[in-house]
Amino acid sequence: MSVSAHHPVLLVAVPLFFAALCPIWGMWRREACFPWALLGVVTTGFFAWSLIGKVTSTRAVTYNAGGWRPPWGIQIRIDFLSLLLICMITGVGLMVLVYSWRYVGKELPPEKITYYYTLVLLILTAMLGFSITGDLFNFFVFMEIFSITSYALVAIVGGPRAVRAAFKYLLMGATSSITVVLAIALLYSATGSLNMLDISNRLKTTSYLPVAGVALVFFIAAFSVKAALFPVHVWLPDAHSIAPSPISALLSALVIKMGVLGIFRILFTVYGHTFSDLSSTWSHVAGVVSWAAALAIVLGSIMAIMQRDLKVMIAYSSVAQIGYILLGITMLSPLGMVGGLYNMLAHAMGKACLFLVAGSIIYKHGLRRIEDMRGLGRTMPVTAGAFALASLSIVGLPPSAGFVAKWYILWGCFQKGNFAFVVIVLLGSLLSAIYCFRVVYYMFFAGARERGATFDEAPLTMYFPAAVLSAGTLFFGVFAGLVIPFLSNACRAVLMR
Amino acid sequence: MNFSRIFHNLNYAVSALLFLMGLYTVTVKPNLIKKLIGLNIMETSVFLLIVSLGMIPDGQAPIVTNGVRPSMMVNPIPQALILTGIVVAVSTTAVALSLCIRIHEKYDTLDAFKIHGRGGL
Repeated sequence: MSVSAHHPVLLVAVPLFFAALCPIWGMWRREACFPWALLGVVTTGFFAWSLIGKVTSTRAVTYNAGGWRPPWGIQIRIDFLSLLLICMITGVGLMVLVYSWRYVGKELPPEKITYYYTLVLLILTAMLGFSITGDLFNFFVFMEIFSITSYALVAIVGGPRAVRAAFKYLLMGATSSITVVLAIALLYSATGSLNMLDISNRLKTTSYLPVAGVALVFFIAAFSVKAALFPVHVWLPDAHSIAPSPISALLSALVIKMGVLGIFRILFTVYGHTFSDLSSTWSHVAGVVSWAAALAIVLGSIMAIMQRDLKVMIAYSSVAQIGYILLGITMLSPLGMVGGLYNMLAHAMGKACLFLVAGSIIYKHGLRRIEDMRGLGRTMPVTAGAFALASLSIVGLPPSAGFVAKWYILWGCFQKGNFAFVVIVLLGSLLSAIYCFRVVYYMFFAGARERGATFDEAPLTMYFPAAVLSAGTLFFGVFAGLVIPFLSNACRAVLMR
Repeated sequence: MNFSRIFHNLNYAVSALLFLMGLYTVTVKPNLIKKLIGLNIMETSVFLLIVSLGMIPDGQAPIVTNGVRPSMMVNPIPQALILTGIVVAVSTTAVALSLCIRIHEKYDTLDAFKIHGRGGL
């Protein structure tokens, strides 16, 4: 076997190797950690890049870890959704890492810098592993790695509010993790397998369908906590607003998407919806998730409008955007699912950009309240411009990626004939326009004279990543045709299976 | 209701009971250490469930030798899963306890209601 056949497993092994050696570099020189982490993420990005061609030409790339064949060994399976996620993780991860260099140097005590880069590499490793694995227990292990790492990263500043938010996050996250193990145990007892596709086949013939139904409910409830779906989102505003801004960007752009991926894998890869005996449970679960998502859109947006702190506002906006993603996925129409998955991409870039901008403003001026942002559009034009551009995507105005996503979601609602969801999707866009453009208004149009018009921008390594991410939302809005055909093929295959 | 069925599946009934006890402790008790103990009770209940899935009375180690019938072999996968699960549970508890130390340093209490009263959030 040539080396390129091992790229799927190197996608996890390489960042893990870099993470393991990072503390050793930190013992020698603290400054060596940043270039080391950067090298690690760039190398990982190369493996992700090399997989694009393979996955798009075949339907899925599989790799048997250790050479054991699937029902017995752990299988890595990269389908189009995994590919989308690993490209998001390496891309956003790279931008966040570049941004971290100056931000962490100022906002964190120097003895914590080594831990910071180690944890960032670990969280990227775990998310990559989580998106590519085809084995249910491996799924759980990677989920625990990124969960525990994110509790530590929320608490890394060490202030009273940070440890409190991290503890709250830990309690909810750990409870949901235990529920996932319970569900895996139940599903294993019903089917006797841990490979997702194998379970899916065995479920068609098993005589323990009630057990499998209970497992489905536990799975969805547990992953809803990780995804911060509406009634169990309460950890998100605290954790995401108090963490250091690059970490907020990582958590909001990528970590909560992992919960969405969990829901997607369980609902569609493992359970499918073609069983005669389980289909009513299955469609009820999907229906409950879609209504919770619809409530998340409205209530998350209203909570965002009520906030005065910029980062808390952006965090509540994530609750609403997760609502859009899950509404699209659980609508059970191929078009809606394309929209939901495309919104994952749009939201990853847009929300990472918003948090990086909020971080730049904290770095430069120490400002968190929205009213204090007056006139920043004059003094920090690139940063504020990136914010405005990313806001377009969050609201869903053309020509941004968020528009394409919401257009498909809306189209799916019409296809299903569910006009309540049509109203909610449009109302959510309107409400997000209120909270996003209020900030843009303060930045560009209110009281600019008070601050003066001298150019006083954040460092290049801080405004450049934000600008790249906001340009990405524009790029994937204009050139949506690069991704949509593959995505709609994948969604049709999932729903027609 | 057939009580003999519950009696014959006592391990599942106890595991469900322990899970609910743990969940009650996590959600209701205000003391953070008690919440963590509840979390560990929940974890233990799931481990009990998984280990007892692979249990065979008078079973033997799954090593193929003469005289060992495959039907008498204990399934090794649940035990491997539990080992991993224990490692994960230990690391979660370690992170949580270190957070508890920090919380006690900052707030001088581990009572969730008092922390809520003193928090600026």
